[in-house]
Amino acid sequence: MVFGKRSIITLAVLAVIIGWVYYFLTARGITYIWHWEQIPQLLFYHGTRTAAETTPSLHLGVLMIGFILTLKISAVAIVFAIILGTIVGIARLSSEPITRAISITFVELIRNTPLLVQIYIIYFFVGSMLRLSAFAAGTAALAIFEGAYVGEIVRAGIQSIHKGQMEAARSLGMSYGKAMRHIVLPQAFKRIIPPLAGQFISLVKDSSLVSVIALADLMFQGQQAVARTYSAFEIYFTVAALYLVMTSVLSMATQYIERRLAVSD
Amino acid sequence: MIRVNHLYKTFKTPNRKEVKALVDFSAHIQKGEVVVIIGPSGSGKSTFLRCLNRLEEVDSGEIIIDGQSILEKKADINKVREELGMVFQHFNLFPHKTVIENVTLAQLIVRKRQKEKAMKIARDLLEKVGIADKESNYPSQLSGGQQQRVAIARALAMQPKIMMFDEATSALDPEMIGEVLEVMKTLAREGMTMLAVTHEMGFAREVSDRVIFMDGGQIVEEGTAEHFFNNPIHDRTKLFLSQIL
Repeated sequence: MVFGKRSIITLAVLAVIIGWVYYFLTARGITYIWHWEQIPQLLFYHGTRTAAETTPSLHLGVLMIGFILTLKISAVAIVFAIILGTIVGIARLSSEPITRAISITFVELIRNTPLLVQIYIIYFFVGSMLRLSAFAAGTAALAIFEGAYVGEIVRAGIQSIHKGQMEAARSLGMSYGKAMRHIVLPQAFKRIIPPLAGQFISLVKDSSLVSVIALADLMFQGQQAVARTYSAFEIYFTVAALYLVMTSVLSMATQYIERRLAVSD
Repeated sequence: MIRVNHLYKTFKTPNRKEVKALVDFSAHIQKGEVVVIIGPSGSGKSTFLRCLNRLEEVDSGEIIIDGQSILEKKADINKVREELGMVFQHFNLFPHKTVIENVTLAQLIVRKRQKEKAMKIARDLLEKVGIADKESNYPSQLSGGQQQRVAIARALAMQPKIMMFDEATSALDPEMIGEVLEVMKTLAREGMTMLAVTHEMGFAREVSDRVIFMDGGQIVEEGTAEHFFNNPIHDRTKLFLSQIL
């Protein structure tokens, strides 16, 4: 099965919504001239990009260019969110009160302020001090925001592992770090795959907010294309479908990983 | 080999009550001695074992293992634990690792043995506890008795000087107790220094050098199995024996 049942259903629902919009507009006597024909060239087009190119060839359209940037931002942010989240989750369970307090404060601060505000702060304030590119600032903001959530998920995962596991590992002479790395974390991560997948799907969608700092991601390219063509419906539906492709692939990938890790159950 | 002097350990229950698990507890264990610790539930038997490898921190007292005072700040507890094998009531095998990985992991990352050597030691031990054919199975695919035998092999693989058994057969179905006790008896006969908290009086009679009866965090009575089962002195001991035998 290449596509999961769920993604087929989701695509069907999207089609129904588009159909309903058609029906709604006609029923109200609103004449909206659809320009679906503009969409393919926003994805791929055959032609020349610059005057220097003499022979026309197949190129990525703006939406696909945005799609790829969104993929890059999301992938990098996911990697850093996992690293940050693991550190935050372990720190939250530390026996050191100060380490614990830092972790709690971080999580509360990040979770209780809007991502959009954080993106602006990191881009305009931190970013200009450290001379960060929009990509670095946007990705960092996403990684930090999602990292706080991942931290809570990791903490719950670690706490769900029976303390006998840590005791058995320690009684064999493993240090706390070795016991965490080899015994507790592998089991915890296996258990938290479903909530982590949900978090990463959120991350992909939240990444659309980085368009506000002029990062030319899928959302940004979509907005620009709408501004040029006025075909808001067609383009935003396409943008939504492209996000759906990314999140569906992520869902399927996690289901696959879950199945593979189930061998020891 | 083990000298324990004046241990105190108090637990706080969630509703802030204090439970005295060990009260001025002292004991000495010789090299090669097989000591069985019995007593009613909550008498501090398990706490004593868990204090020896510092899974529990004592409030005060002194523990000297092999001449080293292990409660001192500078004592490397990981080094101490390498020499103190522990077998738990609920096995605590690593569920995400196969049987052979369970037995080799600590050898590799703690003892820093070569892979080949660790595998050799692990296979010999699995042979010894009678589950050589299960090495690539996961713990969840084994019976309770088999899991506990793997847990014993895992502890033995570190080649510890002392083995501690914390109610190793209490969580097993009756028909599986025998196979685990057999392994423990074999170890005892081979001269391993052993501390076993158990309710298996047959094991105590057959292989123990000494039986310690605990109640209320203290030793009430101790002696050879012979003395203990045939001529107990204290009323508390007599009562306990009458309840379990």
